[in-house]
Amino acid sequence: MSTRLLVGPFNRVEGDLEISLDIDAGQVVAARVNSPLYRGFERMLLGKRPEDALTITPRICGICSISQSAAAAMALAAAAGTIPTPDGARTAALLHAVENVSDHLTHFNLFFMPDFTRPLYADRPWYETAVDRFSAGQGSAARRAVEARAALLHIVGLLGGKWPHTLAIQPAGVTRAPSLRDKVRMGATLQVFRRYLEDTLFGAPLENFAALSDAQALMGWTTGDAGLFLRIAADLDLADLGPGPGRYMSFGAYPGPDGSAFARGIRMADGPVAPLDPATIAEDLSHAWMLGDTAHPETGQTRPDEAMADPGYTWCKAPRLGGQTMETGAFARQVVDGHPLALDLAGQGGSVLARVAGRLLELARTQVVMETLLAAIRPEERFMGSHDTPSKGQGAGMLEAARGALGHWLRIEDGRIAQYQIIAPTTWNFSPRDALGVPGPVEAALQGAPVRAGEDTPVSVQHIVRSFDPCMVCTVH
Amino acid sequence: MIAVAFPLWSDFPNGMRRSTGPVDNTREDQPLSEIETFYDVMRRQGITRRSFMKYCALTATALGLSPSFVPKIAHAMETKPRTPVIWVHGLECTCCSESFIRSAHPLAKDVVLSMISLDYDDTLMAAAGTQAEAALEETIQKYKGNYILAVEGNPPLNEDGMYCIVAGKPFVEQLRHAAQHAKAIISWGACASYGCVQAAKPNPTRAVPVHKVITDKPIIKVPGCPPIAEVMTGVITYMLTFDRLPELDRQGRPTMFYGQRIHDKCYRRPHFDAGQFVEAWDDENARKGYCLYKMGCKGPTTYNACSTVRWNEGTSFPIQSGHGCIGCSEDGVWDQGSFYNRVTDLTQFGVEKNADQVGLAAAGVVGGGIALHAAVSALKSAQKKTQTSVSKEEA
Repeated sequence: MSTRLLVGPFNRVEGDLEISLDIDAGQVVAARVNSPLYRGFERMLLGKRPEDALTITPRICGICSISQSAAAAMALAAAAGTIPTPDGARTAALLHAVENVSDHLTHFNLFFMPDFTRPLYADRPWYETAVDRFSAGQGSAARRAVEARAALLHIVGLLGGKWPHTLAIQPAGVTRAPSLRDKVRMGATLQVFRRYLEDTLFGAPLENFAALSDAQALMGWTTGDAGLFLRIAADLDLADLGPGPGRYMSFGAYPGPDGSAFARGIRMADGPVAPLDPATIAEDLSHAWMLGDTAHPETGQTRPDEAMADPGYTWCKAPRLGGQTMETGAFARQVVDGHPLALDLAGQGGSVLARVAGRLLELARTQVVMETLLAAIRPEERFMGSHDTPSKGQGAGMLEAARGALGHWLRIEDGRIAQYQIIAPTTWNFSPRDALGVPGPVEAALQGAPVRAGEDTPVSVQHIVRSFDPCMVCTVH
Repeated sequence: MIAVAFPLWSDFPNGMRRSTGPVDNTREDQPLSEIETFYDVMRRQGITRRSFMKYCALTATALGLSPSFVPKIAHAMETKPRTPVIWVHGLECTCCSESFIRSAHPLAKDVVLSMISLDYDDTLMAAAGTQAEAALEETIQKYKGNYILAVEGNPPLNEDGMYCIVAGKPFVEQLRHAAQHAKAIISWGACASYGCVQAAKPNPTRAVPVHKVITDKPIIKVPGCPPIAEVMTGVITYMLTFDRLPELDRQGRPTMFYGQRIHDKCYRRPHFDAGQFVEAWDDENARKGYCLYKMGCKGPTTYNACSTVRWNEGTSFPIQSGHGCIGCSEDGVWDQGSFYNRVTDLTQFGVEKNADQVGLAAAGVVGGGIALHAAVSALKSAQKKTQTSVSKEEA
């Protein structure tokens, strides 16, 4: 006979999250994810001046505000047919990469690893090291990571004036034209960050980590905090915990004059990469406290169901691509980009291990991306082109936030916003069931998770949920 | 999400827990050895005396105090028991927390993080759900009447508050409950202070600022979206150190950080006075660092410390990055027309208005502590700007 367990509020996630678990014979048989926080951004954007989306949408999220502002700028640019200047685009990409890297660092050190310091792991050989490095608020690794992150964010301070809620990214480029001196300063900041990654996180040149070609080589990595994680992962069989849907999606990261750093597309397990057709995106509302029919975000509405009627159980809509759930995030991005390590991990089914390793892999690779972007910035060139918001038009801004695919869909009429829909990465991953009863990626990943006798906050559930790095404030917005 | 605060007992592994029962900050005769002080906490974290003194000096600077206050701050931190803080989250984007953990001086962050904790660094919160609720309750009971309640985000009132549910109950209930026995409340950021973006028209969830729900407690507003990290640590350090509220203006903002307009101390101000303006993004004038007034900068009507304290450890601030101020620390900025319209009706240029009756607003001050009024009022607190409006040129 199955019992029901309500897990929440979750700590160490961005925003609020509650998960209802049906448990039978020591494992989860069904999970329902509830995002209990709704603010109604899509409604308050209606009737506003289109440019104001640049200021309003970043406030959806205090941790990935640059992603939101970049998506809004991209949607506005698409509606107007504006193309940012090459150096404006590079600078915007650098700003965005810095934020994504910061998020990965926060996730690994402050959100994910502290779960291994729980007393129930006290008998494991790595336990003392884990406590020393990662116990919440006290661990030496956490402190070091917060410092490294604050230093890295100087780049955003310099280019964007402030973080969070940076204003610098505009449809035609960026407001700040960095001088040669700024460029040198940012280069020094990136060098310091590289040193942190190589001394602390990887314990070796990051190129070596980026060159890992399969899961076996990965598990042989012993140095740095990455090595500690992999030792834990091997001991706890995290490679078998929380498999994803095996369908990966990426909108493509850091587009610019030199192409995208990480490719756009979809990939099924380790099959070939396929083009992404945005027209097949639709949001299903059957299990959300939302009124309306399944619709593409160009026409979809956000009308909360005040009765909170069954079978709804969350404010989160259920986005689907061609009717299917998709996993999105750093790991999915690396799979779509075709990195051999990511492909090998995907071939083994994806898992908690794969998602966290994917994030580490991306940290290593993005450091190189940031260095390349900075080197390509030419201070003497234009950083902002011309842009006129049309009184009528529509456009989409689709890019990759730290947690995965982020889309803004905008329609302008009479010089005002007539339609604005946002699908955030965590909306994809933490979506509820759809009309066919198919659970969302996290709900599916939780099925089969082991629950020990007497556990009221099953640690396996914590690992699985956190491996997706949820950002709940973005999810519903 | 609640983040139950700091409690000391959670981070004492080996019987170092010395504080039992409610801490009574007002009792000077209480044996000091019974109560942990800030300095104790710092020592426990392996912080040297030298670093501690440096921290006191930086705090004094951030608070706009003269060097002669440094020993006073040090003395207070060595002898005062530390004040408990409970930090709760309503409708929000967590940007305030994000800003907060990025304070300039690592020590400030360590100290404050060890005194109060954010949701992801709280060992108590490591166990979710009911245990977290119990921890909150225990803190409230234990420190009844003595703790400070810090609120990030705000409560939505529509549908009986169902748009923000914490542990199965509307956030507004948790807020009322936690506020009932608080000594004072800090409204972090524009959300808690004014409603911020989620209260923008049509305010789908009827999100309201904290002072609309809690009316019987002193409330310190620290607006901004988010507030500057150093402003947050400055305010909280001041309160924890001196056990009193900072001087507030009529809107309830600490005058030490919100006494001047961004325009007053803007490094581009000479270009405003000389009539030199940026006319388009990244034009020749932008490269020269001319004034952004014509690009919609709200610096002339915004009271905040951005142009002096700056952001990301003093690196820069929005105007320095070539984008005008949007006035995120002012009430109602979300519904005053486009952010790129220029401000009109600027009647207050030139000489600063002198301090008005702002000091009266500090009537809610929790008494005692070291008088800093003289030093603080040296900062001019200018009049609020209700008569200002934004052009309706597109209307």
